[in-house]
Amino acid sequence: MSIRMTRRAALGAGLAAATLPMPAIGQGNAPKPDRIVVNASGGAMANLFRRTYNAEFEKRHGIRVVDTSPVDFGKLRAMVESGNVEWTVTELGGQDFVRAKQMNLLEPLDLSILDLSRYPEAVRDTHVFPSSVYSTVMAYRTDVFPNGSHPKSWAEFWDVRRFPGPRSLRNHPVDNLEFALLADGVAKDKIYPIDMDRAFAKLDQIRQHVTVWWTTGAQPAQLLVDREVVLASGWNGRFFDVANKGAPVSIEWSGGSAKQNAFGIPRGCKHPYWANQFLQVMTTPQLQAVYATELAYPGLHPDTVNYVEEKVRPHLPTTPANLEKQFWLGVDWWTENGQKAQEAWNRWMLRRG
Amino acid sequence: MAHASARRDPARARERTLLALAAPALIVLAVLFVWPLIRLLSMSVEGGTLAQFEKAALDELYVAVLWDSLEIALIVTVICLVLAYPVAMWIVQAGRLGFILGMFFLLLPFWTSVLVRTYAWMVLLGRNGIINRMLRDWGWIEFPLPLLHNLLGVLIGIVHVMLPYMVIPIYAALLRIDPDLKRAAEGLGAPAWRTFLRVTLPLSLPGVFAGSALVFVITLGFFITPALLGGGRVVMIATLIEQQVREFLDWNFAAALATVLLVVTLAIYALLGRLTGGQGHAAR
Repeated sequence: MSIRMTRRAALGAGLAAATLPMPAIGQGNAPKPDRIVVNASGGAMANLFRRTYNAEFEKRHGIRVVDTSPVDFGKLRAMVESGNVEWTVTELGGQDFVRAKQMNLLEPLDLSILDLSRYPEAVRDTHVFPSSVYSTVMAYRTDVFPNGSHPKSWAEFWDVRRFPGPRSLRNHPVDNLEFALLADGVAKDKIYPIDMDRAFAKLDQIRQHVTVWWTTGAQPAQLLVDREVVLASGWNGRFFDVANKGAPVSIEWSGGSAKQNAFGIPRGCKHPYWANQFLQVMTTPQLQAVYATELAYPGLHPDTVNYVEEKVRPHLPTTPANLEKQFWLGVDWWTENGQKAQEAWNRWMLRRG
Repeated sequence: MAHASARRDPARARERTLLALAAPALIVLAVLFVWPLIRLLSMSVEGGTLAQFEKAALDELYVAVLWDSLEIALIVTVICLVLAYPVAMWIVQAGRLGFILGMFFLLLPFWTSVLVRTYAWMVLLGRNGIINRMLRDWGWIEFPLPLLHNLLGVLIGIVHVMLPYMVIPIYAALLRIDPDLKRAAEGLGAPAWRTFLRVTLPLSLPGVFAGSALVFVITLGFFITPALLGGGRVVMIATLIEQQVREFLDWNFAAALATVLLVVTLAIYALLGRLTGGQGHAAR
């Protein structure tokens, strides 16, 4: 019974969104499913999602939000291709959103429901919702490098004589090839297209000083806390979190690799109307500010920063003073060359010595 | 003649009943396992080309990683065997309390997720981990031992996960051995070591084989433990397959890699079966 109801409601919502030209009428008449499914990163983030966006959506529309994780590109493709789309909206990891769009795995956004008019032009897209900004940055132990004596560029990160101690980098070519080029003296605006030979040659120099090539986002912060390493690359929110809890860890924004986190609606989604409504809830500056205050991942609504707690603002990647020290990751280059770079990376990692 | 056929008929009827009882499980296996497996194999030759296989089987990167994976699986199997056999023997001989205690400690880790256990090892084995700090406090070492972020860390982590898979089949095989056989050997004057070598060990070989096959095959598929405890330096073939599936959505190549892994695994399995199966049979 309840399954039949849901299916009929789903069909109704789909039809409403697809056929009705006026969103106002759609809103009035779109039958409500009893729940939608939001797939995103789990852990602390899921918790915060529940308290902010999910709670607000439930309050506004009276539809329950079920959250699932993890973010899985392979699963997204399998869902879309099998026609059994379980997610209403999903986060898209890393740089996958470009390929998700290219491979026709996403529904177009309905900009009559989802209002992005105040968003920066550069991040507006027909299929991809830019949810927040994060950055891969350098972090260091403040007790090992006190009073600003830490490396202040990737060139200095590479300088093991002036800044001795074990380091950690991600076991992945993304960001690392850029960092290597910056360390080798390439200017921020000349990184792309990446000269892979030059990047790997530079990585050769740091290789034996990197004791851990990290895999999961929680690792680098933990490695610094445990003093397994004294310098590490990692996602700014993770370092922000341990520093807030009192760990002697701090971020150097120079040479950080800024990028956007993205959400999309899987093609064949059962409730595209409500998917767009959910994304609309995610544009709320006050809620984005809660998210930014706790995780240091600010949303892209220009008003968000006004609601972020004063003391957190210097720790956001989008704060002007921080932003000008970083570069924007070249998503297009990685979409084109990602697989080739990964294979080169695997070969490089496997080389003995 | 008549006697024999009269005996065979109820046997055949029982066989039919058993088959009927097994049917639901067999159907589930066929739908959820055999069919996807066929799909996977066909995906690897999509477009009527063997190019994916050429890369998977000839490219030195994938060959080297497959070789490393087999090596790690073999080492893990041997370590598990050496550790598990005495434990299984002890549980068999220790009686009821030993059985309960042994099984409890053996199965306890099963109830904790592999990821949590892997992180626990990171806390224990790290440069400033509990073990290294203890050894330094005692003055036994000056510099921390490299226990983590290398092959050693990976082996420790995987062995910990795989040990129960080895103990339980060996335990089951040892339990089935008729105690009278051992008594007979002793009665005929065989010393304990000879009784073990000539009676206990050969009769437990089916358990050893089952345990080794389980440990070997499951170890080949590990990816999160090597990635975390190996510090990125230890790459196993499952990691590369996962990369192709989830990151690059190159399912045709992933299917080819998986097929190569499957074929190699089956070949080793058959070889192991022939080696130990033959002996186990002869001993009976």
